[in-house]
Amino acid sequence: MLVISALGIAVGVVTLDVAHDVPGYGFAGASSLAGAALLAAGWALIACGLAAWLRRPDSGFGILLAGAGLAWFAAEWDSPGVGSSLAFTAGLCLSAACPVLVGHAVLAYPGGRLASRIERVVVLVSYACALGFGVLSTAFYDPQAQACSACPSNLLVVADRETLSDDLARAGIYAGTAWAAALTCLVVRGLPRPATRQVTAPGTAYLVLVAAAFIVSLGSTYVSNGPWQRRLWYGQALALLALAGGVAWGWVRAHRARSDMARLVVELAQSPPPGGLRDLLAVIVGDPGLVLAYPLDSGRLVDAHGLTVDVPLGHQQTRVVLDGRTVAVLGHAPGALRDEQLVDEVTAAARLALENERLQAEVRSRLEDLRASRARIVAAGDAERKRLERDLHDGAQQRLVALSLSLRLARLKVPESAELERAEQELASAIEELRELAHGIFPAVLADDGLSAAVHALVEEAPTPVRIGELPERRFDSSLESAAYAVVAETVRAASGSVLVSASANDGVLAVELAAPGVNGLDVVALEDRLGALDGRLDVLQAAGVTTIHAELPCES
Amino acid sequence: MRVVIADDETLLREGLERLLVEADVEVVGKAGTADELLRRVELTRPDVAIVDIRMPPTHSDEGLVAAQEIRTSHPATGVLVLSHHVESHYAMRLLAEHPERTGYLLKERISDLAVLVDALNRIADGECVVDPTIVSRLLKRPRDESPLDELTGRELEVLALMAEGHSNDGICRRLFLSPKTVETHVRHILLKLGIGETPDHHRRVLAVLAYLRG
Repeated sequence: MLVISALGIAVGVVTLDVAHDVPGYGFAGASSLAGAALLAAGWALIACGLAAWLRRPDSGFGILLAGAGLAWFAAEWDSPGVGSSLAFTAGLCLSAACPVLVGHAVLAYPGGRLASRIERVVVLVSYACALGFGVLSTAFYDPQAQACSACPSNLLVVADRETLSDDLARAGIYAGTAWAAALTCLVVRGLPRPATRQVTAPGTAYLVLVAAAFIVSLGSTYVSNGPWQRRLWYGQALALLALAGGVAWGWVRAHRARSDMARLVVELAQSPPPGGLRDLLAVIVGDPGLVLAYPLDSGRLVDAHGLTVDVPLGHQQTRVVLDGRTVAVLGHAPGALRDEQLVDEVTAAARLALENERLQAEVRSRLEDLRASRARIVAAGDAERKRLERDLHDGAQQRLVALSLSLRLARLKVPESAELERAEQELASAIEELRELAHGIFPAVLADDGLSAAVHALVEEAPTPVRIGELPERRFDSSLESAAYAVVAETVRAASGSVLVSASANDGVLAVELAAPGVNGLDVVALEDRLGALDGRLDVLQAAGVTTIHAELPCES
Repeated sequence: MRVVIADDETLLREGLERLLVEADVEVVGKAGTADELLRRVELTRPDVAIVDIRMPPTHSDEGLVAAQEIRTSHPATGVLVLSHHVESHYAMRLLAEHPERTGYLLKERISDLAVLVDALNRIADGECVVDPTIVSRLLKRPRDESPLDELTGRELEVLALMAEGHSNDGICRRLFLSPKTVETHVRHILLKLGIGETPDHHRRVLAVLAYLRG
């Protein structure tokens, strides 16, 4: 490692020296600012590359970055001042190697592997073009035979064919424009991912500048050091510096994530509230939209509250597997969890809490299922009673009324029959009883015209005086109306003394309030069951000789 | 008197027709659905349409809606709604828009031919008719202290007849009182209950019913 570091430093110094000796050739020799830019960019890449290699020896990213640093220097070696033939030849061949290495490194950040087939193909073709055209044009270029008597000898020269060499070099510039553009397109796709943006953004900038440099040199045999090219080169140096800085910033963030994780372990020890684990993980991963879901045996995904969740479209799913079983699914922005090591560490730290929250989510989801099934049972009961009421009215009662008509017609023919008269009276009371029975089973007015109409109708049959305050005139869900009506009807039935009824619907809550001097034999449990099925609640308060019944039901606003 | 009968129960339609014939009421049309009823009324222009409140398809308040439609589009045709509902709510819904030539009776009344024919006549005369059972339930319901307590027995009788839709003349005939006496009673009642006098007797029915419900 030390050897490579020393080598890197030495290469930089030598390159600067070379550039200074023959200022007309490269970019770096023009001024001390250019020299500083050369050294800063190259050394930063090499240093970052080595550090990255040290941190993750299994990832090729560090090597690619260090290689890019060396190639950055090598581009300055095709100059008479370089002295060594080997370096001179390498400089000629590697003049376009740096951008490909940088593009490869950025695409492979941070794991060192290219994610897709298209990335692999484009990177491979770019290497082939950059090195191929470099080597081929070098093979037909003899510097001694062509104007540069001071140049060291070209070790690769096969024959001196100036025209062929120039044509190849020109073609290399065209090809360079193409592969630089292609690499830019691939790298730019990574910009939306916040987790790697600190690297993809300067990487994109660098590749755009490289492509621009190729474009302004189209038709020429080399990237000359004209005023435009010079500006672009400064920009490249700056972008590479920023790139190295971005890589370093990534470590700082990872370090912060690890200290966040230490905090996570501490906070987990204090068992976070449901959903708290998601918030912590969102901070650590750096994705505020993170979804933490637990798979149930049924395959459904639920959140910590036991409610069904979906991983939003465009989110990537990462499974958290412990002992061969998926305990949680993380839905996150693409790329937010590229650092697999971090995922492993996080899940290891949060293992107990994840298991714990998963179990709680499972229990909550069962509770939610239970509540829903309770609501369905109540609704089915209501529907059944409504049907029964309708059947009594439209079936039995209609028949009885028709029968009373027949009886009346019979009496017209036998006017003096006392038996027919008695039968008519019996029938009349049967019809009345049936009507009251049907009404008791389910008040049709509730289904027809809602809570307010039903409560007003209730007052007419109440055994005790009832005063009506404000009532919402709007309609609610039928199960909600039934539950609210049940509270009023049961309380009025059980009340002693005059009752005051009022109700209001505000902020998604239907509140029903009844006050009476006393309430005897109210089946509070049955009412609580009814309300509970709809997530509502019932409070019975007794104070200063007044019993207050207060019911609340969540309703749609 | 020409009437149309609308009820989804055939037995009932036929029975009612045979009964009405006994009282010299001519049944000019019969219907089993609200749509059919509206067509029959359009065709025959009867004096009164007798309508069951619950009809297909939902058996909730189709009859009531059709009755209101008839009152709107055929002002000369009265409606008598027959209902199983003893709550005043449905009667008020029916009367609220067109109180004249409108009646609401409990269904079992139809076997009492005298009551039925009286109601039909009153409706044809432009009065409104509210079932006595509905009114008596309203009068009898328990109340906290109320101005009703201050009414005399006779005044309560007059009040009930007012709520049933009778005009002053009708009240005179029922209670065998002179028009002057009835007028005095009516004035006293309205004063005691704090109901403003209205020249339109239909509006008076609504005001009295609303008072009794409140």
